[in-house]
Amino acid sequence: MPSLRQIRRKISSVKGTQRIMKAMKLISAVKLQRAQGLLQAFRPYSDSFDEIARNLATRCDPELHPLLRRPEERKKLNLVFMTSDRGLCGSFNSNLIRRIETYISVDAKAYEQVTFMFIGRRGRDYFLRRKAPSRKDYIGVNERNFGEVARKISALLTHEFINGECDEIILVYNYFKSALSQIITFEKLLPIEPIEKIGDSKPVDYIYEPGRSEVLKFVLPKFIEVRLERAILESITSEHAARMSAMENATRNAEDVMRRLTLLFNKTRQSIITKELMDIVNGTEALRKGGME
Amino acid sequence: MLAVKEEVDEVVAPGELGEFGVLPGHVPFITLLMPGELRYTKGGVERRYIISGGVAEVREDKVSILTDNLEDPASIHTEAARRELEAILEELKNFSGNKKEFEELNRRLKLAQVRAGVKE
Repeated sequence: MPSLRQIRRKISSVKGTQRIMKAMKLISAVKLQRAQGLLQAFRPYSDSFDEIARNLATRCDPELHPLLRRPEERKKLNLVFMTSDRGLCGSFNSNLIRRIETYISVDAKAYEQVTFMFIGRRGRDYFLRRKAPSRKDYIGVNERNFGEVARKISALLTHEFINGECDEIILVYNYFKSALSQIITFEKLLPIEPIEKIGDSKPVDYIYEPGRSEVLKFVLPKFIEVRLERAILESITSEHAARMSAMENATRNAEDVMRRLTLLFNKTRQSIITKELMDIVNGTEALRKGGME
Repeated sequence: MLAVKEEVDEVVAPGELGEFGVLPGHVPFITLLMPGELRYTKGGVERRYIISGGVAEVREDKVSILTDNLEDPASIHTEAARRELEAILEELKNFSGNKKEFEELNRRLKLAQVRAGVKE
């Protein structure tokens, strides 16, 4: 049985850890709130861009702009894989990594070549350890610089796609559904798929100002950028949410451990007292017996 | 970012080829936007914003204005905006970059002009 002092030391160490976890939870809560606000304002904007880009893809000949290219053979796949830089966020990264492992060993078999681009340290480290071919990685992406990062990445991806270095680009990230639920999402970034036609009616073409090619030249690259920004923001928001609930759980577990340790502490103390009492009683008993003789 | 979402009667926006107005029943239309003033009326009340350019889409009686930046004219500090405009004009005088940079500068100039309340 551990000594009283050992138990006491253990309790205070658990208490300290719990305090840290509580603080981390509060920090995540604040960050989550900020990111969620950003995300909620961003979603309608990026959805509109989505809509416009897909409408354009439906109405325009793929010849008109290199980003409208729809390769017939999809051989080279580029996965853009978003994880967090830091751990302590429950199964946020591990679930995503597991899903992508299955994806690679099942769905990606259809492609001749699969390359990765990593946003976030965790995913990169995992796959680099397994010698996965990576083109580029981005670490240290947060709520403040994601726009800039998205611009860089989109320029790179656009370049690769136009040059035929990849035929398909898929974004993999945690979609922020709510603070309690984040959904792993595979989302095709390029090529831009036209909207399925409803009925026979040919979609009415737009009037373009100043001209069709100018509009395409502005909208399509911007669309890629906005789409990436959105995905990164979803991932960041999800990360904070995941960390918050992980820390919440950890705080609760620490509470349990502390309760058990306190119980053990009291039991030990009790038994020591009992033992001491018994010694005293035995001692006096022995004295009294000795005196009677 | 989503700034406003409203049921409106009319929208007037600064298109690349000049200002244009949209009323219900407009044909599908897509245009690039210049930095300038965006106005819309709703029940006779007019609201104004200053936008930094972008793209607008009109489809099925819906106007989507997609812009990088939007400001309420009332929140603009006129004095600061003027100073910024002067700085850009100064930069333009000593300009020696390529065409792309010139276009970028020109855009900034337009925005600064609108913000400072100077008409072209």
